Amino acid sequence: MLLAYRLALASPRIRAAAVEASEFRALADEMDVAAVPTIVVNGAPRWAGSVPERVFLERVLAATSE
Amino acid sequence: MAIFRPEDEEQVREILAGLERPVELVVALGPEEGPVPGLPPDFDFGAETTRVVEELCALSGSLSTRVEQEPEGIGRFPAVLVRPEGREVGVRYDGLPWGYELGSLVGAVVEAGKREPTLRPESLAALAGLDRDLAIDVFVTPT
Repeated sequence: MLLAYRLALASPRIRAAAVEASEFRALADEMDVAAVPTIVVNGAPRWAGSVPERVFLERVLAATSE
Repeated sequence: MAIFRPEDEEQVREILAGLERPVELVVALGPEEGPVPGLPPDFDFGAETTRVVEELCALSGSLSTRVEQEPEGIGRFPAVLVRPEGREVGVRYDGLPWGYELGSLVGAVVEAGKREPTLRPESLAALAGLDRDLAIDVFVTPT
């Protein structure tokens, strides 16, 4: 979670939200959340699990080329 | 009920003492989603979030809080907007921060309280070229 927040603080183009999955169950189901953390970028689920900063950034930025 | 155990509270107080700038926590209230298994059907997430954030803010003179009803651009309630020096920078916690996830909110506050970004220089260079908006949602659970 902290990586997402760090990205948001470092770039005016990025916003980051933690979403409590049990409270927003319908949305979590829609995003196929089966494990936490599940990372959703621009409304599409991308991956689940913690990854190092370099990988996190690569994966997030990959969403911009779609 | 206190949100931290006494020994944890002391630790959080020490962590928050390292804030380099003031951080405002805006509790955004609005229509809530509905019952969560294991909690009473009429559980008031907004009121509980307000209480948790107020207790957290009591641990540091650098923290302040206020409540806003359905602020623009926010679609899930309750939410906590973490604003360094009162500026909206896109750092948010959607839902009631409790249990393990209280740590995520404290983490957000600590990050927002830093004057310089804590990413690696290579990461900052990659972000400098970003020409599209990105919304990152990280689904978490408190247990």
